[in-house]
Amino acid sequence: MSDLEVQAGLAAQSRQSGPSRRLGVAETAAGVLALFLLVSAVVPQLLAPGDPLAIDPLSAFQPPNLAHGFGTDESGRDIYSRVVHGTQYSLVIGAVATAIGLGLGILLGTLAGMLGRVVDFTVNRFLEVLFAFPGLLLALLFIVIFGPGVVTATIAVGLSTAPGYARIIRAQLITVRSQAFVEAATVLGRTRWQILLRHILPNTLAPLFVLATLGVGQAIVWAATLSYLGLGAEPPTSEWGAMLSAGRTYITSAWWMSFFPGLFIVLTAVTATVLGRSIDRRMRHA
Amino acid sequence: MAEPVAAAGHPGPGPDLPDQGTVSALARRPAALGIFARVFPRLAARLAGAVFVLWMVATITFFAVRLIPGDPAQAVLGGPGSQASPEALAAVSAQYGFDQPVIVQYFAQLGRLATGDLGRSYALNMDVGPLVLSQLGGTLLLAVLALALAWLLALALATWSTRGGKVAARVGSSLEIVAAALPHFWLATSLIVVFSIGLGVLPPISTGDVAGLVLPVLTLAVPLAGFLGQIMRESLLVALESPFVLSARARGESERGVRWVHALRHASLPAISLSGWAFGSLISGAVVVETIFARPGLGRTLLNAVTLRDVPVVIGVVMIVAVAYISMTLLTDAASRLVDPRLRLT
Amino acid sequence: MPHPARTRRLLAAGAGLITLGLLVAGCTSTGSNKSVGEPKSGGTLTYASGDAEPSCLDPHVGGNFPQALISAQYLESLVSRDNTGQIIPWLAESWEPSADGLTWDFTLRDDVTFTDGTVFDASAVQANIAHLQDPTTLSSTGYLALGKVTGTEAVSPTVVRFTLSEPDSALLESLSQPWLAIQSPTALERSQDENCAAPVGTGPFIVESWVKQNAVTLVRNDDYVSPPADADHSGPAYLDTVIWRFIPDSASRYAALQSGEVDVIDNAQPDTIVQAEQSDSIKELDSPRPGSSNRIELNSGQAPFDDVRVREAFIRSANVDDAVSSLFQGTATRSYSALSSVEPTAVSNAALFAYDPAAAGTLLDEAGWDEMDDDGYRVKDGVRLTVEFPVSTNQSIPAEQSVFEQIQATAKATGFEVKLSPMDLSSWYAALASNAYDAVSAPYTKVGPDVLRILYHSDSIVPAPSGYFANLAQVNDPAIDELLTTAASTADAAERASLYSDAQDRILEGFYVLPLYDQQNHFLLRSDVIGLRTLPTVAVPTLYDAWLNR
Repeated sequence: MSDLEVQAGLAAQSRQSGPSRRLGVAETAAGVLALFLLVSAVVPQLLAPGDPLAIDPLSAFQPPNLAHGFGTDESGRDIYSRVVHGTQYSLVIGAVATAIGLGLGILLGTLAGMLGRVVDFTVNRFLEVLFAFPGLLLALLFIVIFGPGVVTATIAVGLSTAPGYARIIRAQLITVRSQAFVEAATVLGRTRWQILLRHILPNTLAPLFVLATLGVGQAIVWAATLSYLGLGAEPPTSEWGAMLSAGRTYITSAWWMSFFPGLFIVLTAVTATVLGRSIDRRMRHA
Repeated sequence: MAEPVAAAGHPGPGPDLPDQGTVSALARRPAALGIFARVFPRLAARLAGAVFVLWMVATITFFAVRLIPGDPAQAVLGGPGSQASPEALAAVSAQYGFDQPVIVQYFAQLGRLATGDLGRSYALNMDVGPLVLSQLGGTLLLAVLALALAWLLALALATWSTRGGKVAARVGSSLEIVAAALPHFWLATSLIVVFSIGLGVLPPISTGDVAGLVLPVLTLAVPLAGFLGQIMRESLLVALESPFVLSARARGESERGVRWVHALRHASLPAISLSGWAFGSLISGAVVVETIFARPGLGRTLLNAVTLRDVPVVIGVVMIVAVAYISMTLLTDAASRLVDPRLRLT
Repeated sequence: MPHPARTRRLLAAGAGLITLGLLVAGCTSTGSNKSVGEPKSGGTLTYASGDAEPSCLDPHVGGNFPQALISAQYLESLVSRDNTGQIIPWLAESWEPSADGLTWDFTLRDDVTFTDGTVFDASAVQANIAHLQDPTTLSSTGYLALGKVTGTEAVSPTVVRFTLSEPDSALLESLSQPWLAIQSPTALERSQDENCAAPVGTGPFIVESWVKQNAVTLVRNDDYVSPPADADHSGPAYLDTVIWRFIPDSASRYAALQSGEVDVIDNAQPDTIVQAEQSDSIKELDSPRPGSSNRIELNSGQAPFDDVRVREAFIRSANVDDAVSSLFQGTATRSYSALSSVEPTAVSNAALFAYDPAAAGTLLDEAGWDEMDDDGYRVKDGVRLTVEFPVSTNQSIPAEQSVFEQIQATAKATGFEVKLSPMDLSSWYAALASNAYDAVSAPYTKVGPDVLRILYHSDSIVPAPSGYFANLAQVNDPAIDELLTTAASTADAAERASLYSDAQDRILEGFYVLPLYDQQNHFLLRSDVIGLRTLPTVAVPTLYDAWLNR
């Protein structure tokens, strides 16, 4: 089992207990946060006009104050500007990793779910092998081969999430395939691929959207972990994991250097979870 | 009851369950053949599957490592920074068999793995087998304690939040979601700041005694408890509404008895099936936690080996974790079948 | 995890510390200056090293700084060096070169045995030199240091004769290094695995056990008789046991020292040193390493730094002083020399390295880099003025990486595009080997000024089979070669110093290097650890005189 399947499982379970259709406090907050993060990623200048890389040695290590809401780092850079401008790194890394994982997952899952028993059996064995590298192991193996760096870390996270997506998508396809309207199409003489494109894929897309939302949150945390371990993005890039890694050196004298990037990682992950579940619930009830 | 199990444990169960493979026909033979005939082929097939997976894991790692640019003999001699002589390079190539054709090296490697020989570390100057074994204990201790604590925390939170009304349910659910989202590295750092630097009550590094275990175990347990808690709370809610709990209440059993004996037992079923996943997640967490708290263990060994590109150690740790993970999956599978009779029929 | 009370307290503490840190910047305490009682024997000291855990505890194998740190506790060298840079006796009582400088006779102590019972004598020294020169030992540092030694001979049990291919004025300095320490010949005959796990020497401690990835346990050698001439006492060490731990994370290391879990840490970060100065329970020991200073080397072998004007412009455009003072908070002193300040022959010339962006601009204009592109970088013939700067995250501490970032920012104002690429050690070596760098920082530790020959002689541009070469500035100047070769075989101290001085003048005036500061080597220790000092050879701590005042 993968993190993703657990997340998806939790989302599926929460839909039963949450019949409420009106927006909850958590959902509203998550929506506002998501908007903030999106604006930060697309037009960071709007929220933080300062240069995230501008140094000012004379105002290094300032605790949070009026001029620097989140304080300054060892070179006097403004942490608030860095966190806001860093959103794009984290979101892009998260989105690309999710796209890689989801893309491979769709490929493998579709092969397994559509091409008959032999392919299904083979793909399943292959996935089992990949699942024998739990958690970050596949990512670490990838990095030891291709060397550390932000690109390899992104691909590594994408690869290690792919088996989880593949298994969910396969199961989803098999469920949809056995439903009445698909059987009707079969009777009408549509080919397997027509059915896949016209009927099955559209019906699996919505759950995929939920999965991707949940997955982006996971991918951001994983990529930040790799950066923190010195295997992903490197300072002075304002990627959150890298900022946290740099801040950890000064943890005894400048807690704000690691507190705020960490806070944003947690907030992003929570936002993704809440939104993913909310979308899932709404789609079920729609 | 069945619904959340399926949702959490086996997302989207299709008409043909995975993992059945060729055994399904055998397993469906009439029960008259006896339990042995029914269980043995299944067990044998699962074991064969496990061996196959391990073989593929070894094959993938072997060929993946061939993709690493550069001369492996150079890596043995301390990387490009060393000033190794050509004679030393040739000697190492011969010693490690790097001068053999790849296919010969592959079968040599498989042969060694089959006899439990994991090769020799480039950087640590020792055999990988003893190294990994010596590091295994620390990580297992950490993982077991963290798993136990996560269960306790999750149970406590689940029982409290299902009893305390709407507000408690909301608070409980929010706590769980936030806990599940906490990255290990940030949690560990925050705990050190509060308990070691701020309050000075707990050591920030491994000390070999119980005090040194508290923060690392907490770091691993809290996010896991967030996941387990969500699963348990939901299934507890479902269980509390279910007929057998109602009938227990009707029989006049105390509320406490109902909660602890009946509801919780059923509520923990889906969480049991998550143990395999939890183990994997704990191993990833151990990489971070062991590094921050300076604890000996597999995670720290793995990270060191990755940064030094110490390929045999990376393969060794990956193989050991794969073995542990597969055994864990087999065990959970067996445990679920034991606890839940319905699963035995499949 | 917002915790209001903690947040406020730390906030106040942080602000206070920084203010105080600026006030007290510059003063360092060297410890043990307040009055304490008589040394007490006994107790266990825990040392936490931030350096990588060695793969082998025998410093003959490979030969890096982490090995030197720990092996100084159980291995000893033939000679040592005192605080003034003079070579002093250790396992060798005296020595005498021949008139032509081609043979050296070392008279050895006759009362020393190794901790396995083997007698220390001339044949033991011979076995060690043979071990270092044996290719299968895979020695790098020691092997290079013995480059001119062609053979050894036991003149008598207490006199060993070294034969050289040519005079070597650095021989004694080389032999003083921990990488050439003397081990039991009986122990050396074991397999390399066994010897790596527990080398046997004559030192004040004995390797008892080594749990990989965790700690090495050392116990006192009760029969110890051979401290170096500058030690504070004689007889066995005071401490019963030393636990040598490896804690790579600097924050964990400092937190462990604060909470008393460990007694001594190395690789202390600037902010923790400033904090320690405010603390009654922690004190500091600062001991810069010998050999080179920490400096940025400019690759003169290719454009744009093949033009001396561009090299000078880069140096003038970099505001190093502000970067060092803000990031090191007074714990490091700016260097203007290619050599460490502990080297008596070091030449320092501050005038060459003054921050002067206007002069830098003029120099670049003269060199033809007189156009600007849209991003504010200078351009010549359509090529941007780019400086590729690979940074090894293993070798540069975070504060140093931040110094580079600040240099990047100030050099941009003059029109340099500095591309910093932090990378792991093997990628970094690969970048150097493929000449994919214009600037690089690579500290080099060696006793004595002969390090200049390794770093700036044109022979060192020729790569080893691994692709590595030490002359990273790619200095190719026959005059410098001549000065360094002559100095290496000149026995007369004054003449030797003058040759090295001339060579350094040429190196500094050629703007091949931008010196930053000495190789930082800060230790923090609990105040009740008394008598800890560093060996003046390569500045590794020795726990021989240390005792616990508790």
